[in-house]
Amino acid sequence: MNSIPVKNSFAFSGKIEGEIAGKIWDSIKSGLILIDSAGNVLLWNNWMAQHSAIPTELALNHSFESLFPDSLSVSFKTAIRHALQHKLPVILSNALHRSPLPLYLLPITPDKQRIQQSITLTPIPTGEGNPLCLIQIVDATLSIKRERVLKSHTERLSKEAVTDALTGAYNRRFFDERFAAEFGRAQRQNIPLSLIMLDVDYFKLYNDTYGHPAGDKVLTSIVKALKSQLHRPTDVVARYGGEEFVVILPDSKTEGSQIIAERLRSAVSNLNIPHSESKVADHITVSIGIATYQPDTDCNATHFLEMADTALYSAKHGGRNCVRHLTTTEGGKPCMDVSFSPSPLLV
Amino acid sequence: MNPLTELQVDTLTEIFNIGAGRAASSLSEIVGDPVMLSVPRVQLYQSSEINAEVLSLNSPRLGAVKQHFSGPFNADAMLLFTEDRALEIVHDMMGSQVSINDIAEFEQEAMCELGNIILNACLSSMADILKLTLDSSLPVYSVGETNAVLQQIILDANQPIMLVLHIDLAIEKRHSQGYLVFLLSSSSLQELLAHIDHFISGI
Repeated sequence: MNSIPVKNSFAFSGKIEGEIAGKIWDSIKSGLILIDSAGNVLLWNNWMAQHSAIPTELALNHSFESLFPDSLSVSFKTAIRHALQHKLPVILSNALHRSPLPLYLLPITPDKQRIQQSITLTPIPTGEGNPLCLIQIVDATLSIKRERVLKSHTERLSKEAVTDALTGAYNRRFFDERFAAEFGRAQRQNIPLSLIMLDVDYFKLYNDTYGHPAGDKVLTSIVKALKSQLHRPTDVVARYGGEEFVVILPDSKTEGSQIIAERLRSAVSNLNIPHSESKVADHITVSIGIATYQPDTDCNATHFLEMADTALYSAKHGGRNCVRHLTTTEGGKPCMDVSFSPSPLLV
Repeated sequence: MNPLTELQVDTLTEIFNIGAGRAASSLSEIVGDPVMLSVPRVQLYQSSEINAEVLSLNSPRLGAVKQHFSGPFNADAMLLFTEDRALEIVHDMMGSQVSINDIAEFEQEAMCELGNIILNACLSSMADILKLTLDSSLPVYSVGETNAVLQQIILDANQPIMLVLHIDLAIEKRHSQGYLVFLLSSSSLQELLAHIDHFISGI
C-alpha cells in the first residue's frame, strides 16, 4: 500500500532527501496536503498545522475527511475523487468556493477569521497504479482585499469621470453619450423621448453682484432641486455648460414632460434665493425649453437637440421664468411650437 | 473533412453527453440551481479550416481554458467561449453584482474552474467508457482578440486535426453556446477511433 513514511522516502535529483525535503515543504507559505487513494493523510505541512490548528502528528495517517467532519463540501469530495480515481487535476477557485476548508488567519482569535482560499488538487502518480492526491491551498485573502480596493477605486473613478465636480450632476461627456443612446433607442423602439434644457435667468448679473462663490452655490442648489423632482432612475440631469442644464426624460410624452418641466421651474423658484438684479423676479429663476420626440416622425439627434435649444431661446425671449415646448412632427421640420406654459410669473 | 462514420460520431456524441451530464451536476452543486449542459454536435475539421466564422464566434474577444492531456493518444483540449459570455456565466455562478467590464483575476480563476469541470467530466467519461487512462495538465485560462486566440491555438498545437464539440450551457434562464475543441495529431485521431471501434464492437 501507499503508507509512505513522509520524512524519508522522497528524493529530489538524488541530492535532496528526507529531512531536507520536509524542511522545504514546512517552509512553503501555502498549505500542502498529500492523501493516498484510501483518503489518508501522508503529508500535512507546517502551514496546514498552523492555520487549521490541527498538529501534524494528529493529522498524519488519519482520514482527511475525518479531520474536517462537518465541513467538507460535496464539491471538495468530488474534486478528491476526480484526482484519485480519474487522475485529473482539479481547481477550486476562490470566486466559486470562497473558503472551503476551516482554515483561519493567524493568530487564531476567538472569532476565528476564515482564510479565503484558492485550491488545486493534482494527482501524483506512484508507479504502482494508485495515484496520490496533492492538495495545495493558497491564501487568497490579500488578493481579494486588493481586488476589492481596486474595484472600489475603479467605481469611484468611473463615477468621477462622468460627474460635474461642482454640482454633482452628470457632465457634458456623459450627457452626449447618454443622449445619443436614448435618442437611438427611442427611434428603434418607437417610443417618445423628451429633452429639457434650462438656463438660469440673469446669472451673469447674479455673479457680478454676489460673487462667483455665491454663483457656484446657486448652481449646486439648483441641481439638488432638479434632482428632487425626478424620481425615475432613467431620468438624467446633466450640466450642459456654464449655467445651462439638460434633463433627459426617456419615454416621456408632451404632457408628461410639460408637467415635469413646470415642477422643475417651480422647484427652483421655491428655493427663494434672493437675486436683486433679476428683471423677472426678486429671486433666482430658470427659463426652460422642452423638445419632445414623437415616434414615427422624421428627426435626427442633432436637430432634436437644436429644437430644445430653440425652445429655450423662445422661453428666454418670451419673458424668462417660463416653459416653452417644441414637438417633432410627421413632415420632419419645421417642428411646431405646440404649447406654452402659463405666462411668466412676475413675483 | 469528415472521415468519421455515423456510428463513430454517435458514439463520440454519446460519450461527451455523458460527460456533459456529469459536469452539469457538478456545476449545479456550486450554483445551487439546475444547470443544463449538452453536446448537440460533434464535427471534425482540419485546423487550417478553423476561423471565427466557421465557429460563428462573432465577438471581438475570446476566452479559452486549455488542458493538455496524454495517454493512449495526446490532445490539447480547449473550452472556448466569447469573453462576454464567459463573464456572464461566471457572474451567474457567483451570483455577483460586479459589472461585466471588471475582468478581475479571481473571475479568470473561476473561468478556469468552469473549464476544468467541463473538460474533466468529458475526459473522465471518455476514460471510463473507452477503458483507458488519461493524464492531464492543470487548466490555463487565456483571453484575447478572437482571431489571435484561434491563430495561437493552431500554431501552438501543431496538430492538424480539430474535433469540435458544440456546447449548450444553461444556468437558470440564460443559454450560452461554446465550443470544446480537441486538437489531435492524425495518429492520435487514429488511436482514438481505434478505441471507439473497439468499444462499438463490444456492445
